[in-house]
Amino acid sequence: MNPKSYLAYTLGYQLFGKSFLSWQRHSDERKLRAIRPAPDDPLNPPLVGTARMKELMSRHYLEGRYANGVRKVAWVTSGAPIEVLRALDFFLIYPENHAALCGARRHAEGLAVEAENAGYSRDICSYARTDIGAALSGRTPMGKLPRPDLLVCCTNICQTVLYWYRVLAAHFGVPLYVVDTPFLYEKVADHQLDYVLEQIEGLIPVAEKVAGRRVSRGRLQEIMEQGKDCAELWLEIMDRAQHRPSPITAFDGFINMGPIVDLRGEPETFAFYKELLREIDRRIEQGVGAIRDERKRVLWDNLPVWYKIGKLSRHLGAKGVNVIVSTYTYAWGELAPMMDASDPMRSAARVYLHPILNRSTGDKLRSMREMVARFQLDGAILHSDRSCKPYSLGQIDQRDNLANDLGVPAVLLEADHNDPRVYSDEQADARLDAFVETMEAA
Amino acid sequence: MLTIPTRAEVVRQVRERGERVAAVLPIHYPRALLRAHGFQPMEVWGPPSVSVVEGNAHFQAYTCGIVRNATSFLLQGGLDAADVIVIPHTCDALQGMASVLKDFIEPRQPVATIYLPRAARSADRGFLQAELHRLAQQLAEISGRSPSGGELMAAIEREEEADRELGALAEHRSEIDLGDRDYFTLLRAREFLPAESFIELARSAPRGRGPDRGVPLMISGIVPEPMDLFDHINEMGAHVVADDLACCSRRLYRPGSASDPFERMADALLGGPLDPTRGSPILERARAVASRMAQCGAKGLLVYDVKFCEPELFDVPLLRKHLTEAGLSMLHVEFDMTGSIAQQTLTRIEAFVEMLQ
Repeated sequence: MNPKSYLAYTLGYQLFGKSFLSWQRHSDERKLRAIRPAPDDPLNPPLVGTARMKELMSRHYLEGRYANGVRKVAWVTSGAPIEVLRALDFFLIYPENHAALCGARRHAEGLAVEAENAGYSRDICSYARTDIGAALSGRTPMGKLPRPDLLVCCTNICQTVLYWYRVLAAHFGVPLYVVDTPFLYEKVADHQLDYVLEQIEGLIPVAEKVAGRRVSRGRLQEIMEQGKDCAELWLEIMDRAQHRPSPITAFDGFINMGPIVDLRGEPETFAFYKELLREIDRRIEQGVGAIRDERKRVLWDNLPVWYKIGKLSRHLGAKGVNVIVSTYTYAWGELAPMMDASDPMRSAARVYLHPILNRSTGDKLRSMREMVARFQLDGAILHSDRSCKPYSLGQIDQRDNLANDLGVPAVLLEADHNDPRVYSDEQADARLDAFVETMEAA
Repeated sequence: MLTIPTRAEVVRQVRERGERVAAVLPIHYPRALLRAHGFQPMEVWGPPSVSVVEGNAHFQAYTCGIVRNATSFLLQGGLDAADVIVIPHTCDALQGMASVLKDFIEPRQPVATIYLPRAARSADRGFLQAELHRLAQQLAEISGRSPSGGELMAAIEREEEADRELGALAEHRSEIDLGDRDYFTLLRAREFLPAESFIELARSAPRGRGPDRGVPLMISGIVPEPMDLFDHINEMGAHVVADDLACCSRRLYRPGSASDPFERMADALLGGPLDPTRGSPILERARAVASRMAQCGAKGLLVYDVKFCEPELFDVPLLRKHLTEAGLSMLHVEFDMTGSIAQQTLTRIEAFVEMLQ
């Protein structure tokens, strides 16, 4: 450990930073409690718990600023098996989450342009362009990202991350460990499970070498248990949308999902979601919905359009449409039952093989149909995300199936999760308005 | 002048031999395994000259042209001669295609997939062998033929021999007395000819002093479609001296040595030339491309990519940087998988050639 770095870490993060963020959270909570929406606002007041999410995420990125020289840093994909890394006390950065934050704060375009100026095509994923732009320029709305000591890329969300992390490996000159997860066109086979297990086990010596310490199996088990607890709690929150009116929207899920991605298994994450669940349950007791007049309940498929979350929730809310659940947010909880702390490695292999993006298009349709029934949905918005091909390919048939076989109106909304240059308000509004009319006529 | 049988003629010959046809999507797959199970692989790299209406009914406009065209071709009956469709897991787009075919389109032919590991560690080797066993079982169920170990090894040796011939053609381009278009037509005959026919054809290629007209270029990308690209390049005053194409030189697999056929096939697939779709490190690949260019005297690299091909696109900036540092020029252009090349693309290539002159 570098003494200068440690001093900066202690002062900048531990002492002043955390205290400031805690004060800021109290201030945000007061402001959120004081919100009285205008009479024509279709939304009810936002969840106060969101202030704690902001604190958690800000604290995480603040720690990141001071992490180099104090903790080993790994940059990981959102679906990477992080239990081993957490057990070795790595500080984890999720470039996808960082890119999403840049998108939500409307910084993504500027960073993407940095990458494009360096030759990266506008046809590659906008998360990748945002992060590569941040790496090349050193700019980020989070202040500063710590330099990685290790990159861990798991292909269970897409192949794009492999190409992207190869660029990062070349840029930073650090080791890249790939956990390759065969795509599940059908049910998982033993050789697929064994393969992923072997790779997760293979990560241990690589990470130990970088960390300069040995992993404790007991700690690994503990982390798996904590991860399972968090995922179950997240699932419980998502499932509260079954109530009528739904106390939450899928947009609330998008906004509050940062900790389940970046900080899953952390005690603070568990405490945050526990408090959020209590607030949601209070809404249910009081019969308060997330929107004022819930007439139609809708599913969102795919990643959000980060830079249009507020606009979309208001536009749809004004028409009595509550987008209550999404396949994307649900994905962070639905695998909780597979987690088995008594067999952490094998159960990790199973879990990391089964994210929705690593399952077939037919399987995703089955999940959507099941959600339509369980959440009593009236329609589905399928975000055809130019930047996420594995999520989007198959949506045309999925939409046709929902509409024609299940009689559930469904619309394909052309957009991009992080690049506002491919989004047209006019076209999107017109498409959504036509969709609402179809639902009303159904 | 070489006489290369058409795909239709090969299908007829295959049928006459009582064998079957496998339509195979790009890029890497075990040819010998298919042959040993009685399937002649017929690769599908588009094709460029089909209406994409049917493909567009299943895939968004931002999907790679190979996927949309191949889906259209299938739905128009272009793959009716095939008894099985094999889709290697090359990228997200082909993953989507395989999944949509299996789950929604459900063609008459069974759809077989194979997952290729993105690294070459012992875990990857072991997995690929198991994956090849799984595919073999599926092929045996379709064809009713289970080859013995000896039959499989004989098929492997035949394919290795064909790969050696392909390698010799690629290595000694300057000694092959064929124009660029004919030369690449010959290389690409490997996509549908049986190994033994390809070996014969390759050996009959006219030797002598190859064409040496104008600026020497190396070409990279997935597939050079439409093939009149080469005519245009020649008309511009350049010629192609080497390639880093996925359909050609990126499939120069080294012959294996293992006595177990599955181990041998896995080793060959994982030990093939550097390729972004297989997760090869970018700088290693850039060094290999620069070295090949120097070896064959190429003055510039033409990266000719099918639109929306992410694996290729991610490599472009670092490849360009490395080549520039090595004093080599590079042009990156993209094309839509259609029957003609956009004039804008040709103008850029022409300007590149003029710059190199």
